[in-house]
Amino acid sequence: MMKTNQEYKKTIRIMEVCGTHTQAIAKSGIRSMLPKHVELLSGPGCPVCVTGEAYIDAAIRLLDDDNVILATFGDMLKVRGAFSSLSEKKGKDNIITVYSPEDAIALAQKKPNKTVVFLAVGFETTAPIIAATIKNVYENGVENLFFFTALKRMEPILRFILEDEGNQIDGLICPGHVASVLGGEAFRFVTEEFHLPAVICGFEAEDMKMGIYSLLDQIQGKSPVSFLNLYKPCVSHIGNKLAKEYMNEVYQIEDGYWRGIGKVSNSGLGLRGKYQRLDAKKKYLFSEEIISKPSACQCREIILGRKAPYECKQFGVDCTPETPLGPCMISSEGACAAHYRYGRGNL
Amino acid sequence: MTNKIKLYHGDGGAKTNELISQVFLKYYGDGMESSLSDSFVFTTKEAKLAYTTDSFVVQPLFFRGGDIGKLAVCGTLNDLTTAGAKPIYISASFIIEEGFDIEDLRKIAQSMGEVCKKNGVKIVTGDTKVVEQGCGDGLFINTSGIGVVSEKFVPSEIEPEDEIIITGTIAEHGTAILLDRYDLSIETDIISDCCALNHLITNLDMELPYIKLMKDPTRGGIATVLNEIAVHVGYNVELIENNIPICPQVKGVNDILGIDPLYLACEGRMLLVVKKDFGCRVLHALKIWGYKDAQIIGHFAKENQRLVYLQTDIGGKRLLPSLEGQTVPRIC
Repeated sequence: MMKTNQEYKKTIRIMEVCGTHTQAIAKSGIRSMLPKHVELLSGPGCPVCVTGEAYIDAAIRLLDDDNVILATFGDMLKVRGAFSSLSEKKGKDNIITVYSPEDAIALAQKKPNKTVVFLAVGFETTAPIIAATIKNVYENGVENLFFFTALKRMEPILRFILEDEGNQIDGLICPGHVASVLGGEAFRFVTEEFHLPAVICGFEAEDMKMGIYSLLDQIQGKSPVSFLNLYKPCVSHIGNKLAKEYMNEVYQIEDGYWRGIGKVSNSGLGLRGKYQRLDAKKKYLFSEEIISKPSACQCREIILGRKAPYECKQFGVDCTPETPLGPCMISSEGACAAHYRYGRGNL
Repeated sequence: MTNKIKLYHGDGGAKTNELISQVFLKYYGDGMESSLSDSFVFTTKEAKLAYTTDSFVVQPLFFRGGDIGKLAVCGTLNDLTTAGAKPIYISASFIIEEGFDIEDLRKIAQSMGEVCKKNGVKIVTGDTKVVEQGCGDGLFINTSGIGVVSEKFVPSEIEPEDEIIITGTIAEHGTAILLDRYDLSIETDIISDCCALNHLITNLDMELPYIKLMKDPTRGGIATVLNEIAVHVGYNVELIENNIPICPQVKGVNDILGIDPLYLACEGRMLLVVKKDFGCRVLHALKIWGYKDAQIIGHFAKENQRLVYLQTDIGGKRLLPSLEGQTVPRIC
């Protein structure tokens, strides 16, 4: 489990766990500039593509009630449940795409005779704004808006990956957006407990180049293994205090269910105490227990950093952005979709 | 191919081409062989003519910088322009949903009339149908047009090192539609670039002999259209990201939305493929005629995998695949 500098293999694998990093790496063509033996892997950084099938199935079941309107981020539409996706169930008025959770309040007020259910997915980046919305709804008595949560926490899934003995990761680009909320210190454990080179870096191409090169220096023993915050203008030691307060007030830590991985202890956020009145899971009495279906596209292996997208036999054959088999291809920020779109194979 | 029509069959990408080739071309035979061109060119005793048709289903019907009517007339004028033709006559057919506001129809008709007047063309025939409420989406328009082809424009075989020019900043129409359709509360001055380009034929009169191909990058944006061209001509395309003109606001909005502007529609821009070494001359002429943001954005390469690559601003290289899946629903 613990790696030392001297053990570095011929192939160096660096993982990033933020969908925006995945996209930015692909769009900037950084892969084409790196030596062939350096691979960039995408971890479970896209909240949409790790949303479990049972969650989608439950959301689709809600639509059996003609009175229900689902409010969702656009990307969720493409995600498949066991049988279909929200996009296939979308009529003119039953599913509304929103760009901010606050839009769901306006929607609920516009449709007072309907019940609006907001599909609350995201990591600690989206979770605070959803928490603020929930607090607002609770305090201002919007009676017809409920929240169906599948919110995820970054630290437990990182630990899950790094504790997996088969993981092939030599360095980690920490999630810049989550770090800006939780604070840089929230990721120091990667280096201190797992002795893995780790950086927090920004999203511009130059930021990422700097992050990757400082990781390479550490991995190749040119500089000591350390935890570096290269995104100081946005990521402070302690993060965004207000955002954390909102999260602590509205959420409690729960087990999370990850597509292609299954249950990861304490990796989810659910509604706490009095806010449970707004919890769609409570209102409609369903749980998000998932028996993870083995996926043909080896997404578990890809998410865990054991394989690169193009090492999957289905990649680009049976599994494309149009007909995604698993989480990594579902979102445009998913590891396989980004590879497919911006650089197939070894480009 | 699936058994049912999906939205992506209309996005102008690989799936649209699949539908055309597997369903339409099969029965229409020779007349539609060249699916790359938006206008059909034929010769009569008196003149060489171009003929085109297009349907418009944009939502919202009124958007920043235009409306469905302006879009319909400009779209048809621009399709004729791609054939090197000066438009003369246009037809306009309307499929209107019961309950549609006549005042809105009046505004749309007015803007169509204005574009025609400004560009010296006439709407000479048309049709009006009304469908029951729920059977349409407010209003659909079909236009067709006929134009006289300039003798100086002779599309010729594209070769490696031929240069690629865009006549202005990209992705403004696509971005304007996104902003309006989703009612995004982003404050911006972005308006659709929707405009008629038929004056290009007159403006570039002296340069037409060096222009090998013209194509307006509408659905699917410049990335999709260049993919179509690459497949057709058999060479790779190499674009230079830093040369692609895009206004900072458009870039910013697309960064926020996570959308790649290279895949968003322009409705008032033309891609020109220019004979090797004549790019600067054509560009110079464009600048003189007021296309101030025109740029040489890339060239054809000798490699023949028929792929489109982008040299990124930091010197990396990425593939721009043909649009797959429905990233932006129904924008024109």
